[in-house]
Amino acid sequence: MTIDPAHPVPPVLPRYAGPNQIPPHIPKGLIRSIGLTTGAEFLASPHDFMAKLHEKQPPIFYDVNDFCNAWQIIKHEDALFALRHPEYFSNEGATPFPRDPDDYFYFIPIEIDPPQHRKYRNIVDPLFSPQGVLRLEGLIRQRARDLLDQFAGTGECEFTTAFGRPLPVSVFLDIMGLPQDMRDTFVQWAVDLLHSQDRETMGKAMRLISAYIKQAIAEKRAKPDDGVVSRIAHAAPDGIPLSDKEVFGFVIFLFIGGLDTVFATLNNIWLWLAQNPERCQEIINRPQDINAIVEELLRRWSVTFSGRVVAKDVELRGVKMKAGDRVTSILPACNFDPEVFPDPLKVDFDRPRKTILAFTVGVHSCMGGHLARLEVKIALQEWLSRIPQFAVKPGRKIEYRPGGVVGPKYLPLVW
Amino acid sequence: MPKVTYIEHGGASHEAEIAVGENVMRGALYNNVPGIAGECGGALSCATCRCFVDDAWVARVGGPATHEERELLEAAASLDTDEGPARRNVRLSCQISMTDDLDGLVVRLPAKQYA
Repeated sequence: MTIDPAHPVPPVLPRYAGPNQIPPHIPKGLIRSIGLTTGAEFLASPHDFMAKLHEKQPPIFYDVNDFCNAWQIIKHEDALFALRHPEYFSNEGATPFPRDPDDYFYFIPIEIDPPQHRKYRNIVDPLFSPQGVLRLEGLIRQRARDLLDQFAGTGECEFTTAFGRPLPVSVFLDIMGLPQDMRDTFVQWAVDLLHSQDRETMGKAMRLISAYIKQAIAEKRAKPDDGVVSRIAHAAPDGIPLSDKEVFGFVIFLFIGGLDTVFATLNNIWLWLAQNPERCQEIINRPQDINAIVEELLRRWSVTFSGRVVAKDVELRGVKMKAGDRVTSILPACNFDPEVFPDPLKVDFDRPRKTILAFTVGVHSCMGGHLARLEVKIALQEWLSRIPQFAVKPGRKIEYRPGGVVGPKYLPLVW
Repeated sequence: MPKVTYIEHGGASHEAEIAVGENVMRGALYNNVPGIAGECGGALSCATCRCFVDDAWVARVGGPATHEERELLEAAASLDTDEGPARRNVRLSCQISMTDDLDGLVVRLPAKQYA
């Protein structure tokens, strides 16, 4: 069914959870409960866990869990197919994010299938293109330096709160045209909404964020500027202005989609750097290869998953999926497919260029991918020029957050 | 603004104006030209914006600009085995930046950008 983005209605698709809600067409031999994102084995070392799926599980299996039973894709080739064929694998209703049914909105553009999807991307793509984000380079560099100034001389920091979280939030506020004095408030909202694991805290955060965004949209409508909120608020593809619901769904999607992923990616990379000082030196020694270095780090430390709903019956690698089934591409596992990336856990800055799945592929490829690459690049350059070697604070155990964005909870560093 | 003509695999032709400094992949997306996916947006990650530069323009456009572009084109070459002799001038259109010198550029598009 094609949706009308200007008039959102809650999807009526079924969501099955747990062992008592397994549709009868799922072959018994493909049912698993692997504890993805929540189990003890996953949380002990998430990326190792996802790499080992290639040895332990069939290439496509059906995971049963308390949240959402779904097919799981771990082969690079299968993820490319699923992500590139929206006629079989739809995004409508595929984003598992609770919303008020009486004030429903779509996350735009991720919940919109082609052909409507492109009109939204055309509004913001010029700003997020490689050339577009380059205009932000000086600003991002300054934000990184300002943060480093606060703690580089102290010999220690808790990375996630001192750098990993505030850097992407600052950059986000700059891009959106929102004031920097909202930084710590946005940080708190993001933490409450995405990591509190508490329904009441999440609901409260969502209400505060919604109210703030609605007010910001109203202000930008009255007084346009160069920021993304203003650009979306004034967009009129084919001469038709976006509805209030479209503008809101677009802006809030950028908030949710853009903040946590860069944060988690930085946290994962910095943990690895802290444990591998010789690789820090290698990065310092190869400034001309920084883009290849960033690409390989994004492959090795991808942080998220991509969900779809089967739109019409389809067979993939001999597995029959039925309309309405949910499908998750485990992107980090796809990046560890040994058929595409031999010795997949090895960080090798000289791998031949191939399609990585950190940002997915297909029409819904991450619009912030270029910005994320630039942020990781600048973070590496600025940090390593000030703090070339560092280690995890002795005696501190690293724990991972459960949930759909993978990374360490805290990262105490010393140098 | 300089113009580019995109010729789809089936022969349909589309002319689009592209601002100087913008690339040939974006020009297709902004003007709804079918046959170019441009999934990764120019990050040298996907090779879904391949085009075959018309013989008359090869000298001005030049060959692959970086080793990343070359590696991606090699990895995608099996998709284009039926494309005939035009295949020799394959480029990633995201890596062709528009200049006034390229006004009138003609590129052909492959039958498919991915399997």
